[in-house]
Amino acid sequence: MDDLYLILATLAFLGGFILAAVSLRSERPRKQGVNIPIAAVGLVFQSLFLQLRGEMHGRCPITNGAEVLVFVSWSIVIMYLALGKAFRLSLLGVFTMPMVFFFQLFAIVYLLAADPGPRPPAALDPWLELHAAMSLLAYGAFGLAGVAGVMYFFQDRQLKSHHPGRLFYSMPPIRYLVAALVRLLVIGAVLLSVGIVAAFFMKVVPDRGHLLISGAVWIVYLVLIVVHFIKRLPPKPLSFWAIAAFAFALLTLSAL
Amino acid sequence: MSIFCLGVNHKTAPVEIRERLAFAEKSVPQHLSEICGMDEISEAVVLSTCNRVEIYGGSETPAAALDKLVEYLIGHFAVEPGEVEFYRHEADAAAQHLFEVASGLDSMVLGETEIFGQVKKAYAMAQTTGTTSRRMNKLFQQSFTVGKLVRTSTRIQQGSTSIGSAAVDLAEKIFGQLDGCRVMIIGAGEMSRTTAQSLLSRGAKSIIVSNRSYDKAEELALELKGRAVRFDDWENCLDDVDIIISSTSAPHAVVKHEMIHRVMSGRRGHSLFLIDIAVPRDIEDEVNEIDNVYLYNIDQLQQIASEGKARREKQIAVCRGVIDEFLREKGIEALAGLPDGRGGSGPDPILTETAARPLTNP
Repeated sequence: MDDLYLILATLAFLGGFILAAVSLRSERPRKQGVNIPIAAVGLVFQSLFLQLRGEMHGRCPITNGAEVLVFVSWSIVIMYLALGKAFRLSLLGVFTMPMVFFFQLFAIVYLLAADPGPRPPAALDPWLELHAAMSLLAYGAFGLAGVAGVMYFFQDRQLKSHHPGRLFYSMPPIRYLVAALVRLLVIGAVLLSVGIVAAFFMKVVPDRGHLLISGAVWIVYLVLIVVHFIKRLPPKPLSFWAIAAFAFALLTLSAL
Repeated sequence: MSIFCLGVNHKTAPVEIRERLAFAEKSVPQHLSEICGMDEISEAVVLSTCNRVEIYGGSETPAAALDKLVEYLIGHFAVEPGEVEFYRHEADAAAQHLFEVASGLDSMVLGETEIFGQVKKAYAMAQTTGTTSRRMNKLFQQSFTVGKLVRTSTRIQQGSTSIGSAAVDLAEKIFGQLDGCRVMIIGAGEMSRTTAQSLLSRGAKSIIVSNRSYDKAEELALELKGRAVRFDDWENCLDDVDIIISSTSAPHAVVKHEMIHRVMSGRRGHSLFLIDIAVPRDIEDEVNEIDNVYLYNIDQLQQIASEGKARREKQIAVCRGVIDEFLREKGIEALAGLPDGRGGSGPDPILTETAARPLTNP
């Protein structure tokens, strides 16, 4: 049943992306906010999947790479639904959907090929739950910052080429993209800091590798933010490092 | 009882004819009263703008009413019989024409929005004068609905159609809202003035004008409510601006790569938009290679405007589809079913209701 929910969520995101792509090519303008209900449907199925996996393991469902990818996707969708409209970033959903779709596709392939099955239940520890939830929500914010970075590069290229296409007119201004990217980095860093602080109160001390990796991700983002606020990084390197840092964070997740 | 439309526009008559037929705003109520005083005409609305003069009305005998109107126009305006070819529309063709006018499909700049306000104003004036009844009320209310529907459900407004609007659209894609954007003009030519005015109309602030002749710079600065700087000094102002419009008559590049490169290092990530409308060009092409700097020359802006126009022209069929659908669903047939408000016994509920309500957002 959990696989079915995951497949349904993945199909919802694929459908959202296809719908957006088709409407962008259409002669009629796309309906504003059509991605939001689709993302919400996907989120419901993601949540059902994670709930079933959580019940199966008797703990937060981040016991293997597939679950971590779904959890990160879930966080990205939550961040998109919570902040997308406030940041006035049209098409954020269009760029987010394919990323979430591919993450979940990997998760499906992983689970179908070699689902490691239930882990022995861990003793209930609210600090552990807080650590996991905050850290993964932070990854959601970092993921969305990466999406804003990709959107910046796209829009910058359109402007530099002198041949703006149809998508250009639907995209947000680059100044708004950069502002949203910085805010998402800060939100992510704050959430990750809370997650890391929570880890110090956990009953079971995390292993050394886990600590090193989490610390490395935290430091990468902290350095990026501090450097930006001190030296005011230009948009291009800022966007590049937001994408690179998220790629690094994803790689470290696979190591966890 | 049917509706009709008689008129000329920028496609059918040159400005020399249109200016003679134009109704002075103050005289419109009197003309409306005279037109409605004709036996053949029961309702009338006059739409007179710089690109069109049109009279919409209701009549039992629309063909006779149209002939009478032509006579009236020839009699009251300085045009000779046979000098003007008026277009005449009746029934659904008249409604369709008004819907296309209100949607901006009949405008010189396709999809422009000014005409929508002008149609609203023309209708409000006729309503105040008391020359509208059921048919005109319903027809014009529907035209407002269609005008909005066409603009929201098609891409007729998307894309730039002139160099000025292309510059503004690009600036908005870089900076977002232009409130607080600082503009510098190098070379006080006509194109600079027009482009700067387009940017100012969207909220750009603090215009700096520099020109070889300081008097001309001062003159333009005064007109644009900005400040003039001497031509030797404009480089010192580069740090303080977001948009530069250059149109000097210099035979060589005025804005150099090294200059902008140096300026950008101190701008702390803020973008710079350069518009080069000079021929020969004022700004070195390599400037566009600098990160966060966007340079457009006159050909590139013209190309965007041409593409925008072509894109809007492709949208005409889509817009007409929207209008046809509207007409099929609740258009002219609903109008034809209405009894004559003026000739009917008892009060006209639609007229009474509309007249009692201020025309703010039909």
